[in-house]
Amino acid sequence: MGKVVPTSNQKSAAETMASALSSMDGVDAVVSERKNGTSPRNIVSVDCSNKNWRPLAVCMKVEHGVDYCSMITGIHWPEGSPDKNWEVIYHFMRMGVTDPPVVDGMVQPIVKDPSKLEGKDIPLEIEVRIALPETREPTVASVQDIWVGADWNEKETWDLVGIDFEGHEGMRRVLQPHETPVGFHPLQKQHKLRYHDFEEMYDDVQGFRRKPSDTGKIK
Amino acid sequence: MAEMWISMGPQHPMTHGLWTLKVKVDGETVVDTEPDLGYIHRGVEKICESRDFTQITTYCDRLCYASANTWSHSYIYAVEDLLEVEVPERAEYIRLIAVELQRIASHLMWLGAYGPDIGNLSVMVWCLREREMMMDLLQELGGSRMHYNFPRVGGVKRDLPHGFAQRTRAKVSLFLNRIQEYEALFDESTIFLIRTQGVGYSKPEEMVNHGVTGPNLRAGGVNYDIRTAHPYSVYSELDWEPPVERPSIKGADCYDRYRIRVEEMRVSAMMVLEALDKIPRGADTYHEPGDPAILAKAPSRSPEGASGFHHFEDSRGESMFYLAGGGEGRGKMPYRVSIRSPMFITIPYASKCMVGYKVADIPAIMGSFDPCIGETDR
Repeated sequence: MGKVVPTSNQKSAAETMASALSSMDGVDAVVSERKNGTSPRNIVSVDCSNKNWRPLAVCMKVEHGVDYCSMITGIHWPEGSPDKNWEVIYHFMRMGVTDPPVVDGMVQPIVKDPSKLEGKDIPLEIEVRIALPETREPTVASVQDIWVGADWNEKETWDLVGIDFEGHEGMRRVLQPHETPVGFHPLQKQHKLRYHDFEEMYDDVQGFRRKPSDTGKIK
Repeated sequence: MAEMWISMGPQHPMTHGLWTLKVKVDGETVVDTEPDLGYIHRGVEKICESRDFTQITTYCDRLCYASANTWSHSYIYAVEDLLEVEVPERAEYIRLIAVELQRIASHLMWLGAYGPDIGNLSVMVWCLREREMMMDLLQELGGSRMHYNFPRVGGVKRDLPHGFAQRTRAKVSLFLNRIQEYEALFDESTIFLIRTQGVGYSKPEEMVNHGVTGPNLRAGGVNYDIRTAHPYSVYSELDWEPPVERPSIKGADCYDRYRIRVEEMRVSAMMVLEALDKIPRGADTYHEPGDPAILAKAPSRSPEGASGFHHFEDSRGESMFYLAGGGEGRGKMPYRVSIRSPMFITIPYASKCMVGYKVADIPAIMGSFDPCIGETDR
């Protein structure tokens, strides 16, 4: 049997963290259980209001040992409700990684047994969702200085989705060309793909057989 | 001496793909760096918004040409989280075998490419020879040589073919012997040691804060692995431990990152052998495609407002997909697909690691992080 983190430990750690986070203003944290695959995963699922995001981020990093920012996703919901026209979703993990100690001039690698981890060393997955109301300039606070790993994630989210991060230093295009027009963010929903039909896409990639009546049709 | 910016790339042997590293040099010393990505941005995330869940698998294969299977599996686990599918245990074992074989093939590709980077050309031919064996095995599973399109929502495309277990055991055992040959070729090459030891130091805490995971993190003397920390598939059923390297006091250097990948190939090879022994109903039974033993029934539409994500241990670090389901209005298509690429986050960190070293160290440091531009640019 491999040495893995037991589900029960992860669940109790997630519940501890969720109840601690829920006491903050504008933060609603629950433990959501996901049941795909072989073992259930317990995820700390947090809904946060935009103005409380920065205190929550500091609290997670300092008090709960969340040391790793995995991904930032921006979503444009034009047909959604007016309070949730945009959404920013952060995924964090608590790894509990420290620099290995030096004994007698030799580094001693940290080999922890995952089945015996306790307290803040138990690895956790955290999902934070921030809903933004209808606006032309969606903005959330940057966490670049807390997790450096968020730096390029924020750049990418701004580049592709157009959500701005207040306080982010050195914002620039990362995946699109540098000369992309200001205000063009392709993952916003008003930009459509050109092909209007799967069959046309596969049989007639260059569109030679497009009919005049097809003009303007989009998928 | 005056400082100046030079541009390495987009066509440069160091880049392993198409990107530019702008380097500010003072004489021969690197003072500052800035990576410039996006040369092969294909807009995969946008394309995926108008494909249904099964069609997207093929796009995920093409994210990384060296490690196609790990990427399509990474996606499939996220879809199964979204659609709440339970997968038969036999299918999970077959997936594990496919992913670990792919991990070996990917590390071999890296090792083969890293040799010429720093002046050891013969190792490339040797590594590609063994990679060919792994690709033959994967071809038996998936049907094609590089882009397998192997996993399905709820299981796998095909069962293990007749005689697969026997051939895999033979080839993996042979491969385990051949690893010693690479070690001899690298560890006894003075040039290799001079060029990799003592350059490109990186510390674990700093790496985690910068978002670097996977083999690069474990080279720093930490045994963090998503396969044990957030166990998915059947990794908890097998007897294995992630390999850890003993770094120097200043942190992990390029040599440690080479060692950890060689050890990881060994661990993956042992895992494949063990999985073949432990697979339910035996490795020699064959089920037709679509049999419930290897493919569970899965819904094709996601519930309204549902989302799914899954952290996955890719050959280069943590990969992840986030899927927002569309509900009735979107039919079988997701509303948003977001991809977390390990190298997209690691390349800026690797570029920072070079500051203070000589220009000649840049290929050694960059190559040791195993960059893959296909997944970086998406």
